[in-house]
Amino acid sequence: MTDPMTDETAPVTEGAMMRATPVRHLAPWLVGLAVMVPLPWVAFNDYQRYLLDLILINVILAVGLNIVKGFAGQVTVGHVALMAIGAYTSAVLTTKFGAPFWFALPGAMLMTAVAGAIVGIPSFRLEGAYLALATLGLAESVRIFISATDYLGASVGYSDIPPPSLFGMPLNSFRSYYFVVMPLAVAGVYFSFCMLRSNIGRAFKALREDPLAAAASGINVRKYKSLAFIVSALYAGCAGSLAAHMSPGFLHPNSYTLVEMVTVLLMVVLGGIGHVWGGIIGAIIVTIIYDLTREYYQYQLLIFGLVIVLTVMFMPTGIGGIIDRYLVNRGFAAIRKARKDAA
Amino acid sequence: MLLEISGFSKHFGGLAAVSNVDLNLEEGEIRGIIGPNGSGKSTLFNLISGVYQPEPGGTMFFDGENVTGLQPHEIARRGIARTFQMLRIFAQMTVLENLLVGHHCHTHYGTPSAIVGRKAVWEEERRVRSEMMDLLAFIGLADYARMPAGELSGGQRRLLALGRAMAMRPKLLMLDEPAAGLSPVNVDKLLDTVMALKERYGLTVIIIEHILKVVMDTCDVVSVLEHGEKIAEGPPAAIKDDHRVIEAYLGKEMDDAEVRAYLRSS
Repeated sequence: MTDPMTDETAPVTEGAMMRATPVRHLAPWLVGLAVMVPLPWVAFNDYQRYLLDLILINVILAVGLNIVKGFAGQVTVGHVALMAIGAYTSAVLTTKFGAPFWFALPGAMLMTAVAGAIVGIPSFRLEGAYLALATLGLAESVRIFISATDYLGASVGYSDIPPPSLFGMPLNSFRSYYFVVMPLAVAGVYFSFCMLRSNIGRAFKALREDPLAAAASGINVRKYKSLAFIVSALYAGCAGSLAAHMSPGFLHPNSYTLVEMVTVLLMVVLGGIGHVWGGIIGAIIVTIIYDLTREYYQYQLLIFGLVIVLTVMFMPTGIGGIIDRYLVNRGFAAIRKARKDAA
Repeated sequence: MLLEISGFSKHFGGLAAVSNVDLNLEEGEIRGIIGPNGSGKSTLFNLISGVYQPEPGGTMFFDGENVTGLQPHEIARRGIARTFQMLRIFAQMTVLENLLVGHHCHTHYGTPSAIVGRKAVWEEERRVRSEMMDLLAFIGLADYARMPAGELSGGQRRLLALGRAMAMRPKLLMLDEPAAGLSPVNVDKLLDTVMALKERYGLTVIIIEHILKVVMDTCDVVSVLEHGEKIAEGPPAAIKDDHRVIEAYLGKEMDDAEVRAYLRSS
């Protein structure tokens, strides 16, 4: 699903620049969508279908985190808290106010976006580890607030969240729920692609690399920092709401601890920080590994922490970065060859 | 007058980095700013480009508009581009992307249409990319368009920093030691590029430079700073013989003949 215009492998020629027609731009996405439709029938059992739904929800979450962390370079560890806000908002809207899922989802996203904007405010003044601490504080207070509030089920958990229904038919099986999650995930990935490959994505990267030089290039640093936090919060809210309504429709504040944050962070780091595919590759790999190692759960955090450290040390740009590196080297080789031929 | 600055001051703690400096630029001129290390040249650049706010009393008019106290991105949008002494290129972005960031404020499409990927966005991206490729070809970096900027050599990075500033289509280009660390041949090449760009786009240029030859050969007017104050201003020939300038640069002990010999040799 590479889009032809910014395909990094394409040689820099007039021809390559001219290939971007809207049809060719959308076609890979439609093909991708078509390929994903039969997946629930390819899966062997309900457990695999559950895993499929979970992967896609994590893809949405990781793609969102990749925007603010990978592209805009803002070290936030409050992302699971945003997911929690999305999940609980959606749960409350459906159970206490009787709103259908289709209203609760955008409601949850809106609520999370507001929270995301608030989480983003410290980023105007803080950077790196200091910003991480500030967002960690916000995140933990959200979780503790939830586990101390009876209205939200406190530490017992919030149960009986209804599945979405379409024309009176509840989508409570993992197979039918897949068709709620999948289009949203594909749309989410599509939007992130469009955004990150436009001037918005470049502005994010510029302020990650050097905020001062970005500002001197005419980029409104505060505006783009806020935008990164808000957009990534929209993704987190969407993922949260989807997680809440998935069978068995139960939420617990312990699903939003630092462990979960490390897991999401691992997805982005392993997949490739600041790579458009990063969040997707990482979400797939990490979700599968997370589930396979569930019986050794007491070692999970240790393993994930180690993988993060090793990735940062030996593969700082992640899997996506390795792919990029390969393509860049190929580009260099092509230039050398062209020079040789010319000489 | 393209740029009119009056009474710019900036203190760091008790130290006056820039004090009460006036600077007036005609359209199309090349202005050199010289002075010993720590004389406030870079601080003056940071004041003009909005990185620092001038202290009360200082005003700046650009193209007839009062731009005193604006944020850096607002200043940039009005057509003042700058390079940095430490270059500050975006090392992990490609060479082409560096220029595209420079082009940022000339983008027509809005955020929502970019997010949904409208056709107009793709068309504009395509057009802008080919424009930026032209600019890259002009500064001689077209071959490296898709390489990460961090892999360029020192001289190429200087060119890229210049290209990124030019991508902003500025009216005023401010160069902070553009030739620092270059070999004499490359200094000449860089200056040729700057002059070619100036001719092609009708720029006004301010250059901070320590290599006096650069300033003397290219600038129409030279301003000299020392301890944050402007101590002299005039055409290069007059500045060369100004006693205060020679003192500021070389100290008092040399006699005039030695000074001239030094200036000729450098």
